[in-house]
Amino acid sequence: MKLLAADRPIANLMRGREIGSNLALSADVCVVGSGPGGAIAAARLASSGARVILLEEGGSFTRKADFHMQEAEAYPKLYQDHGNRATDDLGITILQGRGVGGGTLVNWTTCFRTPEATLARWRERHGLADFTAERFGPHWDEVESRLNIRQVDVSEVNDNNAVLLEGAKKLGIETELLRRNVLSCLHTGYCGMGCPTNAKRGMALTYLPDAAGKGARVYADCRAVRLVLDARRERVTAVEAEVLDPATDRPTGRRVTVSAARFVVAGGAINSPALLLRSGLPDPHGRVGKRTYLHPVVATIALFDRRIDPYYGAPQSVASHAFIERPGRTGFFLEVPPLHPMLASLALPGFGAAHRDGMKLLSKTNAIIALLRDGFLPDDEGGTVSLREGGTRLSIRYPLGETHAEAMREAMKVSARIQLAAGAREVRTLHKDPVVIRGERDLRFIDERPFGPNLLGVFTAHQMGGCAAGADPKASVVDGNLRHHHLANLWVFDGSVFPTSLGVNPQLSILGIVAASAERMIAAKT
Amino acid sequence: METRRGFLRKGLIGGALLAFGGGAFLALRRTLRAAKPRNPLLVLSESEYAIFAAIAARVVAVDGDAPSTDAVDVAGRADAAMAQWPDSVQAEFRRLLRLFENALTGAATRTGYETFTASPARMQDARLAAWAGSRVAIFRSGYQAMKRLACACYYAAPESWPATGYPGPPELPFGEIE
Repeated sequence: MKLLAADRPIANLMRGREIGSNLALSADVCVVGSGPGGAIAAARLASSGARVILLEEGGSFTRKADFHMQEAEAYPKLYQDHGNRATDDLGITILQGRGVGGGTLVNWTTCFRTPEATLARWRERHGLADFTAERFGPHWDEVESRLNIRQVDVSEVNDNNAVLLEGAKKLGIETELLRRNVLSCLHTGYCGMGCPTNAKRGMALTYLPDAAGKGARVYADCRAVRLVLDARRERVTAVEAEVLDPATDRPTGRRVTVSAARFVVAGGAINSPALLLRSGLPDPHGRVGKRTYLHPVVATIALFDRRIDPYYGAPQSVASHAFIERPGRTGFFLEVPPLHPMLASLALPGFGAAHRDGMKLLSKTNAIIALLRDGFLPDDEGGTVSLREGGTRLSIRYPLGETHAEAMREAMKVSARIQLAAGAREVRTLHKDPVVIRGERDLRFIDERPFGPNLLGVFTAHQMGGCAAGADPKASVVDGNLRHHHLANLWVFDGSVFPTSLGVNPQLSILGIVAASAERMIAAKT
Repeated sequence: METRRGFLRKGLIGGALLAFGGGAFLALRRTLRAAKPRNPLLVLSESEYAIFAAIAARVVAVDGDAPSTDAVDVAGRADAAMAQWPDSVQAEFRRLLRLFENALTGAATRTGYETFTASPARMQDARLAAWAGSRVAIFRSGYQAMKRLACACYYAAPESWPATGYPGPPELPFGEIE
């Protein structure tokens, strides 16, 4: 019988409510952020004998206390901006995890190594000469063992994912069964709300306890406000953080200051560039916060005459990369999302009776999502992250142009064909005025719908770039070792270093590339 | 997820210009406070609570046996959610509600000369639709902010699930390892 795994405490963890006064701490290395990059870096560094302090803005959560499979609880607690993160125009909803463990708290457990095509592009276009599968391979091997990453069996494919599997098969479109980082998974379907059984091998159950076991100290509810530079502006000397009240998520007035010899920023692809900008770090070519990529997502909704129950089962178990290479155009890949009532209600277009009637059919609804591989066309500079209101708030902009529109239209057509082939009664787009598709002849209406912010539902769950790695300091923020071009004792270890999007779900890329880079950081002299 | 942020400076400026352009009598029309808060409000005023309650009722538009948005207290849930937002985001959303409610907005969008709360349902829907499809991007953003908060607060509530066919979270097996 499969049972629930116990919570695994992180030794040396201190929560905001336990910090009763200002703290001045010192360490060999201070890591900001506890997602995959920060966690594996902390584990590697602590194992090398370094005294590590890790600061995390979000709270520390456990299955027993916090993961109750309730959207009303999970999104405000476990996601950035209480689940409200979006581009400035609200045109792209940004799902991004927050808490000890970062995105691994809430991701849907899909694991891919970085595709060779992506690594080759980074080598050729961005001067990252040793970004190779040979170099990262041993690190991926170790991570896959530690996180128990295994390919699902076809028997684990739920009815929601089976739509993609079976529909694509009928059309001759290649698919693959996904690999997941789970152990004794009960397939509840609630990965996105914090795993209720501790089956997901996220950072809070793996590399963070590993790091703490080697002496690393973790401070939750501590938001890094700025990095402090020395008088010559050549080195970082400290991180200043404000302590948040977990109950209100507002500053308590207390501060934690960490002095260290080396610093790692690992706040993720939006918060890391924001921290660098708030800190006023050297950025002579204005590269911080540029080239932000999101894998912009469009979806089609299929209605079946049978139950799909899209909220239960492994959330993602099937994908297709058959359309990732589209010469001269933006490629995309297909996956399936879980649909719980709240998330579905936000995605469905319209209001009133039309929206309500769509919600009534939730149990018979499937969705296919198409994720655009952005950053691969010559002119695709992606989005930007900047500061506003004196640095207290972020500005996230992501202009969607004609190349995105073309890819989204094509992706919606492909997805709709797959859903119809799988037996859908009808398929709807997420346009303000949805296109209703019952056959091939209806697909042309997709081309006729207006395109622009909030005229078509667009989402992202993968954030990349903003502190791009590259050989040229004029075009990037960190070098091939993920070390800051202008500050010798600062590294950036998260998805923000990717110079383009990946074309696959990012967690395993972050883990492997950071593990390899941490190895070099340990060997480096500063 | 509840709402969204970032917004409506241009819309507010536009509203102010309209007011100075001769529509001040419309701008001063009062909110119909049909919905009353059940609990002490943390962020919204009583008028803003009533505005959001009216918006939520049209956005969600329940029928049959499904509980109403008032029964679920969508506006109260929204107020509680907003309490965790940064002050500036709270202020923006409150400004949005007041702008949307304003009778001038109805006039400007040709959806009536009453406040939103005092408008008949048909005109309320017309105003929502006007914002949803506006050629002015910032009005579409405002619509999305209100719609998403209303939907999130309603459909996250277990009382709403039976109408969707969602049975709720599964029972987990008892016991532990490790």
